[in-house]
Amino acid sequence: MEKYDAIIIGAGNGGLMSTLELAKYGKKVLLLEKSNKPGGLATSFIRGRFEFEASLFGLNNYGNEEHPGELYHLFKKLGLQEKVDFVTVKEAYHVYAMDENVDYTMPFGIMEYMEKMEEYVPGSQNALKKFFVLAEESKEALIYIEQNKNKLDASYLKRNFPDFLKVSTHTVDKVLEAIKMPKRAQEILTSCWVYFGSPTDKLSFVHFAASFFSMIAYGLKIPYKKSGELSLLLEEEIRKNGGEIKYNSMVKEILFKDRKIAGVHLTNGEIYETNHLICNISPTVVFGSLLPESMVPINSKKLANSRILGGKGFSIFLGLNQSPKDLGLENYSYIICESLDSHKEYLNKSSLKTCSSMAYVLNNAIPSCSAKGTTILEFNSPLMQDTFIKNVTEKNYFELKSRIAESIIDAFEKTTKISIKPYIEEIEIATPITYARYTGHPDGSIYGYKATGMDNLLPRMLSEEKETLLENLRFCGSFSSTLSGFGATYMSGHLAAKGTLKDIEKEEETWN
Amino acid sequence: MELDLKGLNKDALKFKEIEKNREKIIHGSSANAIPTQFRANELAHLFHPQKQFVKVLDIIEENKKTKTFVLVPDIDQKTKRLAYFQPGQCISIQVFIEDGIYKRPYSISCSPKQVLDNNMYTITIQRKPNGIVSNYFLDHVKIDDKFEISGPFGEFTYEPLRDAKNIIAIVGESGITPILSMAEAIYDGILNCKLTILYGVEKEENILFYKRLEELKNKCHFIQVEYLVSDESKSYYEQFSKDLIDPYLENENSFFVSGPLEMYDYVNTLLKDYHLPKKYIRHDAFFGTVDIRGNDLYQVTVVIKEKEITIPCRARETLLCAMEKHGITTQSHCHVGECGYCRSKLIEGTVKTFNDSIRASDKEFKYIHPCSSFPESDVTIELPF
Repeated sequence: MEKYDAIIIGAGNGGLMSTLELAKYGKKVLLLEKSNKPGGLATSFIRGRFEFEASLFGLNNYGNEEHPGELYHLFKKLGLQEKVDFVTVKEAYHVYAMDENVDYTMPFGIMEYMEKMEEYVPGSQNALKKFFVLAEESKEALIYIEQNKNKLDASYLKRNFPDFLKVSTHTVDKVLEAIKMPKRAQEILTSCWVYFGSPTDKLSFVHFAASFFSMIAYGLKIPYKKSGELSLLLEEEIRKNGGEIKYNSMVKEILFKDRKIAGVHLTNGEIYETNHLICNISPTVVFGSLLPESMVPINSKKLANSRILGGKGFSIFLGLNQSPKDLGLENYSYIICESLDSHKEYLNKSSLKTCSSMAYVLNNAIPSCSAKGTTILEFNSPLMQDTFIKNVTEKNYFELKSRIAESIIDAFEKTTKISIKPYIEEIEIATPITYARYTGHPDGSIYGYKATGMDNLLPRMLSEEKETLLENLRFCGSFSSTLSGFGATYMSGHLAAKGTLKDIEKEEETWN
Repeated sequence: MELDLKGLNKDALKFKEIEKNREKIIHGSSANAIPTQFRANELAHLFHPQKQFVKVLDIIEENKKTKTFVLVPDIDQKTKRLAYFQPGQCISIQVFIEDGIYKRPYSISCSPKQVLDNNMYTITIQRKPNGIVSNYFLDHVKIDDKFEISGPFGEFTYEPLRDAKNIIAIVGESGITPILSMAEAIYDGILNCKLTILYGVEKEENILFYKRLEELKNKCHFIQVEYLVSDESKSYYEQFSKDLIDPYLENENSFFVSGPLEMYDYVNTLLKDYHLPKKYIRHDAFFGTVDIRGNDLYQVTVVIKEKEITIPCRARETLLCAMEKHGITTQSHCHVGECGYCRSKLIEGTVKTFNDSIRASDKEFKYIHPCSSFPESDVTIELPF
């Protein structure tokens, strides 16, 4: 049997991107995927006359030719950027706080954002300016660190990113306090914390700020044909470049020879040989279930046991039989929260009574995404604790998920004063069980490990090489160093491919 | 811009400590084995098993051309517990007949309570004139026979956030099976809605579950049943009328339509008079085959893993049917193009498809559903393996 230069487990964003990149470098690669299509959560599905987007509500860090984000550069390098039709989402977010009955609409563009904030919170402009300067510096610094991880130049860092260094170990709350941002402005600014899955008293400032900067400066994009278009494009490009993909192929065991990775054994009995693996699945599953016990490094147990799983997915997909205009849905992205205090809100999201959500009117970004006179409205309301899973029984599951969905829709109706329920033509509700089913991730976590304390972005990035605990085994996807989100997981695939190319080179050198 | 970060000046030094601090935390945590069981994943497996193995516990002859098969787990194959389901859902059952491997979806006709109490499903199969699988079941399947079935699937279910509380089921012939499951679930307190069943058949002896339906109607005031039988002047479905339906209507009503294809046109025309939004009319997916004629014979090349197999396929035959006949097994569930389970790549040739449930991105990258695609030329498809 011919041996592969590398095998990639899991065709999520990270797996697809790393496979394509290795294939472009002429490596013989095999991508294994347990389901029958690529993308993982980057997919869509049909109910009745509606095609629902499963997870992408805005591709961050992309931008455009004039203002390219990192992801744009990556797409361009791989020749992808001309092959996707993107639309730009029209406003950043529209946030409602139920406890105070207030709402704020925030635009894209740094200047526009600051002006709008000044309008809502007079006297906030100075602090906002400081925030964006710090945010931009954080973004640049993170790019530098990512590219020079193993040879960081302390004096370069000090010279170019002095303020970044000062805030690099702090939480969002701590830094916003330090720059004296008025409380209300802080709350409006951080109301999209749910994107990160951690409340602002736990989330790293530099992670939040760098992503927030890209979002406001470059805007958010969605492909016309939803995220499946990106996944299928990557699939096609992999094949064009000689890469192989096998679907319905689930790995049962990673094989070793002389204590080195030798290949994979699938549940259907097939065996494929390689010395290099990239896993787009969680280290918890890889080290917990795919390795022979004797090959599990003690540090991988300690590492896994030191981490907490992030929020678990809960989503509602609605096909409505009226147009957004007729319904009164003017915005694209609605953040409905019980409170603007992210810590309080985090606790709310840990209970079964949660009714807060992020809601998206897909038609307000892509008018043609459903039939004329209809609307696609999707809600995300990740659950931050396992209360739901612990309460589910065979008998109550369908009723319980329907009840939670109802309280989320009710809260949306009450807060926005827009009637939704009478117009529901199709509905699908995805719970942590659904996410566990489709991704295989432990407990249906959609954020990978929780971004908190020393498991925030920067500590993960800085320790990544050291934590490559098994030679020639690398990770990508939301459980890896870049954390969750479309932009992040595509980048993680790029980084894993880079790492594996280096591993392959090293191996070749030893042979020569 | 001068950023007044005085309070944080010293903190720059902490950057150097990040790796060490992380290491400390990891070092101090437990070296116990990594957890391998997660409740949400266990539940996912319980609710959505990829396969279930069952055996036939009992066979009940409903009438000359219909039998109910009671399915229980085949413990030898490690299926311990059948997956819970929603009334109206089906399972796909796999059978080997001569050289072919066939999968067919059948609605589960019992209450979900039967899974909880007795760990069983019932499916009811009626003989179709040329039905390979239905004839096999009626003539050859016996008690203790073993089968592989799918997990429960399908969207023909009552959804309280979408459907009206008052359901009018317009049913023809064996289309009663999912509706019986709903009625049983209402009786068992699992579904909280009202159900009126307008049940039509060609001949009186075709009425299935008569005794049980009468029992449910008498014991539960949320359930009503009316029977219609074709006579010389009118077929049963021509007897569905406003006069029949109107007495059962409330402010808001959902129609659930389940039966053979020939009744759909009539029923759809009838329901047009009510000017209902689409959301209030739901169809069972199994409306049989679509009228595509033509005897032309095409060659279909199926790429499966690295192998290529070429088989003949008539113009009126779906690609999936041809594959099944020739023993090529692929994933399939619904057989009407909706579930996407058999999704495959069209490499060459053209097909005609009777269902538009294909994602926009799949259209762009030439994916089709072989279960609802008829060849219009010689065709090459690649299965997702």
